[in-house]
Amino acid sequence: MTDPALIRNFSIIAHIDHGKSTLADRVLELTHTVDGRDMKEQVLDSMDIERERGITIKAQAVRVMFDAEDGQTYQLNLIDTPGHVDFTYEVSRSLQACEGALLVVDAGQGVEAQTVANAQLAMNANLEVIPLINKIDLPQADVERVKHEIEEALAIPADEAILTSGKTGEGVREALESVVKRVPAPQGDPDAPLSALIFDSYFDAYRGVVALIRVIDGRIAKDLKIKMMATGVVTDVEEVGVRRPANKPVPELGVGEVGYLITGLKDPALVRVGDTVTLAKHGTEAPLPGYREVKPMVFTGVFPIDGDQYPDLRDALDKLRLNDAALIYEPESSHALGFGYRVGFLGLLHMEVIKERLEREFGLDLLATAPSVEYHVYKANGESVVVHSPQDMPEPGTIERIEEPYLRATILVPPDHVGAVMELAEGRRATFKDMQYLSKTTVEMHYEIPLGELIMDFFDQLKSRTRGYASLDYEYIGYRASALVKLDILLAGKVVDALSFIVHKDKAYPRGRVLTEKLRAIIPRQFFEVPIQAAVGSRIVARETVKAKRKDVLAKCYGGDITRKRKLLEKQKAGKKRMKAVGNVEVPQEAFMAILKVDE
Amino acid sequence: MSSIEDIAGLLEPAFPAHLYVHVPFCRMKCSYCDFYSVPIGNKDQIDVVLRGIDAELRQWGALRLPGVVETLYVGGGTPTVIGPGALQVVDSVRNGMPLRAGADITVEANPDSVTGELMYVFAMGGVTRVSLGVQSFDEKVIGVLGRVHTPEEAVSAAETIVAAGMDLSVDLMCGIPGQSLESWRETLDAAIGTGAAHVSVYPLTLEEGTPLEVAVSTGLVEPVDPDAAADMMMLAEDVLAAAGIERYEVANYARPGHESLHNLAYWTGDHYIGIGPAAHGMVDAATARSAGLAEALAEDTVRVRFGNAPDIDEWLFGGRRTVEQLTAAEAMREDVMLGLRLVRGVDATAVAAAGLDATLEDLARLELVERVGEGGPHARWRTTAKGWLLGNEVFGRVWSPDE
Repeated sequence: MTDPALIRNFSIIAHIDHGKSTLADRVLELTHTVDGRDMKEQVLDSMDIERERGITIKAQAVRVMFDAEDGQTYQLNLIDTPGHVDFTYEVSRSLQACEGALLVVDAGQGVEAQTVANAQLAMNANLEVIPLINKIDLPQADVERVKHEIEEALAIPADEAILTSGKTGEGVREALESVVKRVPAPQGDPDAPLSALIFDSYFDAYRGVVALIRVIDGRIAKDLKIKMMATGVVTDVEEVGVRRPANKPVPELGVGEVGYLITGLKDPALVRVGDTVTLAKHGTEAPLPGYREVKPMVFTGVFPIDGDQYPDLRDALDKLRLNDAALIYEPESSHALGFGYRVGFLGLLHMEVIKERLEREFGLDLLATAPSVEYHVYKANGESVVVHSPQDMPEPGTIERIEEPYLRATILVPPDHVGAVMELAEGRRATFKDMQYLSKTTVEMHYEIPLGELIMDFFDQLKSRTRGYASLDYEYIGYRASALVKLDILLAGKVVDALSFIVHKDKAYPRGRVLTEKLRAIIPRQFFEVPIQAAVGSRIVARETVKAKRKDVLAKCYGGDITRKRKLLEKQKAGKKRMKAVGNVEVPQEAFMAILKVDE
Repeated sequence: MSSIEDIAGLLEPAFPAHLYVHVPFCRMKCSYCDFYSVPIGNKDQIDVVLRGIDAELRQWGALRLPGVVETLYVGGGTPTVIGPGALQVVDSVRNGMPLRAGADITVEANPDSVTGELMYVFAMGGVTRVSLGVQSFDEKVIGVLGRVHTPEEAVSAAETIVAAGMDLSVDLMCGIPGQSLESWRETLDAAIGTGAAHVSVYPLTLEEGTPLEVAVSTGLVEPVDPDAAADMMMLAEDVLAAAGIERYEVANYARPGHESLHNLAYWTGDHYIGIGPAAHGMVDAATARSAGLAEALAEDTVRVRFGNAPDIDEWLFGGRRTVEQLTAAEAMREDVMLGLRLVRGVDATAVAAAGLDATLEDLARLELVERVGEGGPHARWRTTAKGWLLGNEVFGRVWSPDE
């Protein structure tokens, strides 16, 4: 056990892409935690998808030993956190395990929306926040402006900001010195009953659920009987250890220490992020604050293109859930798409990542329907229903009101682009709250916006309308009543359930019009005429027609053409396979996502 | 239609009955063309190619396989741009191969390279048929296609060919950007007026990477409504039939008795050799073995398709030849697919042998094919009027039926 006075626990927090994971790599090198020959980029991002996209999805903890200027060797526990708003809860749990945070700001990009959000999370958790201005090697680096923004936007003194380059390693030692000097040593009572926070977990095929923990009070050691306070599960400690970054068992973890815990439990639902671990007998009375169940915000129908893959899809979801307690799913059946699952995600990035992993790691061919949110429907007869899928929406006549989730969105943008943001927000039912100048180059704007609007391509639109300058963060603020209706799409006179969506009644006509036009362009001509209609209840609000196909012929077919022609026909056939037969209409996959891009 | 024994590769090696020679030169490339050709350059290059063709012909001849060549087609490129050189190819064939006396010999020509003298030489040299690449008699449309001749030149070239006593075939294209139904009707009438015994009608296909495809995909040229192209194909059938020129294949029309015997070979599973750069051939496995076309053939191969390198230098050195091997099942499906291009259709027994009964019944429900001659000794499947326009659907399903 290490003397808490020689322990420092800190996180690195940043807006996405500001160089957090690369800085973490430099810390591992500087402290000789990872050999040069084992060094690969972004050591702590272990999933392929994390490395490829340059994002961190799972929190990670690593212990490094740092020889400081004062002659002492410190145990530093670095907790790398996800940078994306979808994973805010994971960030906030990780911060609970720390006393300090290195706030990384890109010297060229400056303060962005998630810089602000993450800094606020850290300050609310009473952490010592040390600003780092990173990527100073870049030609567009503007340290003075960024310092100014840090002071204005975050109210953090920036004159002592440390200048670093994750690329060259410059400033990294200085940053660690400042962690030692400025971040308080952990405080805790070694004689009190065990109290440890689970700030993340992952699934190991041989060992079961591995929890990453931070000991607040007491100690945890092999063979102790422990209890998870939120779930009430009692179990034995099979192993505790530290991550360097590979797991290394230790006899025990004491006050202030960060490490891993293996109990043999196989069900991740029993070992929840945010829960408190204590002793089974004579444990602590009070769990650590801040635990909440992770609630998915965005839902989509996921269907195998080949119906035979349905059982494989279930197995794959079961496996992913072992590592991702935020993933929920229930069976869903669609007339158009057959059997699949309605899957709940933390947000759009989470959704994309999961879909990509399902296809890549499990070899599935999937079709996802347009994302939806959780609606609360209050019926005239006093019943209330939770609706995750447009097809579960009750008949309009029975509904008294529908409530939908709202967000408070924070948008940081250069002043030139304020007008573009306002225009976009207005089209998305967003209510303007306020705005302020953080600096000459950055304006912070606040809106209240329905989540249902935000998931409709809002971020891409925001980026393209502000030429990539705007950044976005949001937090959930509750449910509000809205005048919502279900818009159905009919192909050849039949409702295609997988294309239905919920929309504000004032938007039903324009969205219906845009969508039917889009579908007309996407759906290829068939042997018969295919009317495409948009309808609210029995009222048709828009109609387009795909004319019957009359000509599809490659006429020349002489000696040398025959092989070539056959190849072309095979290609055409393969193209058809990627379509979904809805009734007798062949519908390309992109039709089911067309609804996302409906800016009129 | 080849017999099942033939497909099964039970025959002894035999000399393929049909011969195609590719002359890879053009004065300039048309905007829609993606066939292999090079701009006509110096005389040395032409001589090199002609010598290479001669050598390749002799190699085949030296195999001394039983059988004779029944049809010869000299295509390109534009064989007539090398003038009398085109006839040198015919002579090479005579010297290097067993060519039947009085065989059907076709040479492709473009209007701007047809002269009375050249046609006289052709006729004297045994050429029986000239296939003239007119495409359109409308000056504006000719311009879109990037071709170099005028409508008047086309008419005069056609007259020259007929006057020399050869059969004339006129190639036409429809579904071209800027082409109206009216312009198309005038082109059809003009083609009939030349006295052509054979007319080909191709709806334009925008081949990727050709100047015309690029122009359309970048919005420089308005694309053609496929419905308009369909109307033109239907008009062609009516107008040509009224003039006694009947459709015998999806894109080919002839006065009875003037069908292209060479092209029919492609659609009926007959064997042919391709000579020259980018030329293709198709033979049975036994012939492929004795001609040394592939190092090793799979045991279940019954049919071999091969293609010469689409590059003069590589072809001369025998490089980059493609070889495709087909099993008996594939060959039978291919024969049905190609046979359905013909008005006369395919024998029902061949369809059954290829395991395609269910597929054709599906296509019949869509009214794309029909079964005729039921009850008699010769029930056949053939393509319907609707099927001609939706050939890809018919041919695609026949080639790769749903399992």
